[in-house]
Amino acid sequence: MMPNSDPFQEQAGLTRDEMIALPPYSQEDRHKNELLLPIIREQLKIARCNNQQIDNYFSRLGVDIDAIQRLEDVPYMPVQMFKYFDLRTCPEHEIVKILQSSGTTSGTPSRIPLDKATALNQMKALKSILSDYLGEKRKIFLVIDHEGINSPEMAFSARTAGVRGLSIYAKKILYLLKEEDGKLSLNMPVIQEILENYSHEEVYAFGFTYIIWTIFYEQIKNEGIRFSFDDFTLFHGGGWKKMQELAVSKEMFSDKIAEVFHTQPANILDFYGMAEQTGIIFVDCEFGNKHVPTFSQVIIRDPLTLEPCEIGKTGFIEVMSILADSYYDQAILTEDLGVLVGVDDCPCGRKGRYFRFVSRVEKAEPRGCGDTFRESSR
Amino acid sequence: MITCHLMGGKFETQVCQDFDEISRSVDAHREALAEIPLDAIIKVLDALGKRVLNNPEINTLPGVSYISLWLRRENLDRVCRVNYSDKRYLDGFCKNEMNVLMMAQPRGVVCHWIAANMPTLGFFSIVQALLSKNGSMVKMPEEYLPLILSILRELPEISVDYEGVTYSGKSLLDAIAIVTFEGKSVGVSEKFSLAADCRIIFGGSEAVRAISRLPCRDHCETIIFGPKYSFAVFDRGYIESDGFKRALDQLAKDVAIFNQMACSSPHVMFVEKSLYSTEAIASWLRDAFERLPDALRNQEISSGLSAKIINARARYLLSDGKNCIAPRDLGWTILIDQDVCLEEPIQGKCIFIKEITSVDEVIPLVNHKIQAISIGILDQVKREAFARQVTYRGADRIVTPGTIHDFTLPWDGIMTLSRLVRWVILRSN
Repeated sequence: MMPNSDPFQEQAGLTRDEMIALPPYSQEDRHKNELLLPIIREQLKIARCNNQQIDNYFSRLGVDIDAIQRLEDVPYMPVQMFKYFDLRTCPEHEIVKILQSSGTTSGTPSRIPLDKATALNQMKALKSILSDYLGEKRKIFLVIDHEGINSPEMAFSARTAGVRGLSIYAKKILYLLKEEDGKLSLNMPVIQEILENYSHEEVYAFGFTYIIWTIFYEQIKNEGIRFSFDDFTLFHGGGWKKMQELAVSKEMFSDKIAEVFHTQPANILDFYGMAEQTGIIFVDCEFGNKHVPTFSQVIIRDPLTLEPCEIGKTGFIEVMSILADSYYDQAILTEDLGVLVGVDDCPCGRKGRYFRFVSRVEKAEPRGCGDTFRESSR
Repeated sequence: MITCHLMGGKFETQVCQDFDEISRSVDAHREALAEIPLDAIIKVLDALGKRVLNNPEINTLPGVSYISLWLRRENLDRVCRVNYSDKRYLDGFCKNEMNVLMMAQPRGVVCHWIAANMPTLGFFSIVQALLSKNGSMVKMPEEYLPLILSILRELPEISVDYEGVTYSGKSLLDAIAIVTFEGKSVGVSEKFSLAADCRIIFGGSEAVRAISRLPCRDHCETIIFGPKYSFAVFDRGYIESDGFKRALDQLAKDVAIFNQMACSSPHVMFVEKSLYSTEAIASWLRDAFERLPDALRNQEISSGLSAKIINARARYLLSDGKNCIAPRDLGWTILIDQDVCLEEPIQGKCIFIKEITSVDEVIPLVNHKIQAISIGILDQVKREAFARQVTYRGADRIVTPGTIHDFTLPWDGIMTLSRLVRWVILRSN
């Protein structure tokens, strides 16, 4: 069922390739929605044809794809379904790689099948997003993690995804931590090398927020080390629940880490992303807002009515994308809570919707005296 | 930290270091309570039921009208007769069939651990302690304090005449203390437990286990209303009868009341093969859910529970051989499949519908975790045979649609009032 050329073009619209090639934050929200909708409609038709489960889903929901007039009406797939169902939307022989999330929370990994076109789109998309924050030039890439995190044997996790994804702008990759007996600590020879040889380079870095704070920052502070680069940007994400438990705010984190790298807190950029939507990250601007690129959309849904929330109201984050041919990533409902801050008018100048991450959804345990039907063992 | 909200008839919030003063107060005042004839106590409670119904501040709150019904004298009379066999045992020695004088003496100070799933639960627990003439120290969930205190505030306003003597509701109130404290605080929980002559524990598995392990006095009786599971079964005759659609309205209410957080909340509905398909039955149940009053249909749920419901819906919508019927919002959810089994509760008005060839298929699924089974079986012989089998296997209550949450005794297989007293004897000369 998969066509060879890009089929997602409608009259007066843009092809998907053209959408990905646009500057990532150049389109006003309303116009972007008009461009995305016909592409997504076509993708849904193909998904439905190629996947019995998705066909079940659409049939039982009574979805008429041609009748979908708003992105909000595209059927969303709860992110957990990647753990339980094969959500492949292309013929099996076209799959070149299956990403597996680490499944650290539930123990069951998500499976995300990729074909060549999807993997390429994801790379182009990420490059487009990063170029907006880093410019076009290749730079030294510091990974605030250990080298093993990027080994092919490692299960795909948010950490590996970040390293692999962000390395596309790297002219050299250096790992600032090492792992010994399962414990992470500063990789001192590498740090020494950086201090001696790369102090006046343009550098960008990536790390998992909680690891940066509890391991890298703690140890680098004790060693009294401070870096100084000509230009520095840190992308960090994940672990905010643990950071909240440590009572570390985003502002405090940015201030302290900026000191270590001798830069402005505005260069410490938190981002939101997930393995199920590799290629798209929602990066903070200097005003602390996460921006939605052209080839993607975000809808915040009310946790009770599931209708789109108005600005300022907290709800489930739904992420939409046109990148994938190989799996259902057109509309994924996450288990994260966020709040839409505004549309097209962020002072940073980026167009489109902008939002903030609020928290992960707390796992719901049965409340009250209602309980499992299972007897405890004798 | 212990906060006492009611002690010795005074509604004053005070912080206490331990329970010594509170238990001394309850213990001292319960003596006066024990002197009141049971019928006079019932008369006061009956008057309380009428007063709460006339109090505009509380009479619209969920469960309050049911309290009023439950406190009717005829109902309390019945409850006491079922539990004590003869109400006179509460007021003095009476000869029993063994020719021995027997009396039901209160156990003393009852400590209640109230679960946070049902606003009026604490009140029912207190009333049972009063009907057995016990003093009460009640650990109440913070969120239900205003309701319970509002009801209890009516007590001192009540006085009743019984056999020429006037009795005041204040005597009942004096024997009640309401406290709040952090249940995770082992030290405080131990002190509370050690203050008890009898412990009543309501709660989920974790809470019940933790409280049961607390030290208590050697003579202390412990009554546990632990975690349970409930469901519904309808046979072919009932489904094809005229009353079935009405029963679905009742079932929808049973599912909606307490938002499926009670041990008596049904989670699965088994339907015997009949003229009607599962989808048809599900569509009638859908209509019944949509007919629910707003307050029941649209109840607040946590975002975690929202996610759980969304995931369950998606799993059923994606799977072969399953289906899900639900509105766009999370008001209610019907999950249809053919697996003859009980399902882990989701809560938030999610009910599984499963077709069976015979109601007998359900019997092996029943164990001691099953509290109530709401049955629709018209044939009396078949009803009783089914009930005998499932109660033998562990079910406690076999009820009809619409009555699953009715607080009748025995509850969870327990004659609570009977357990709240000590049966003592006096041999004749």
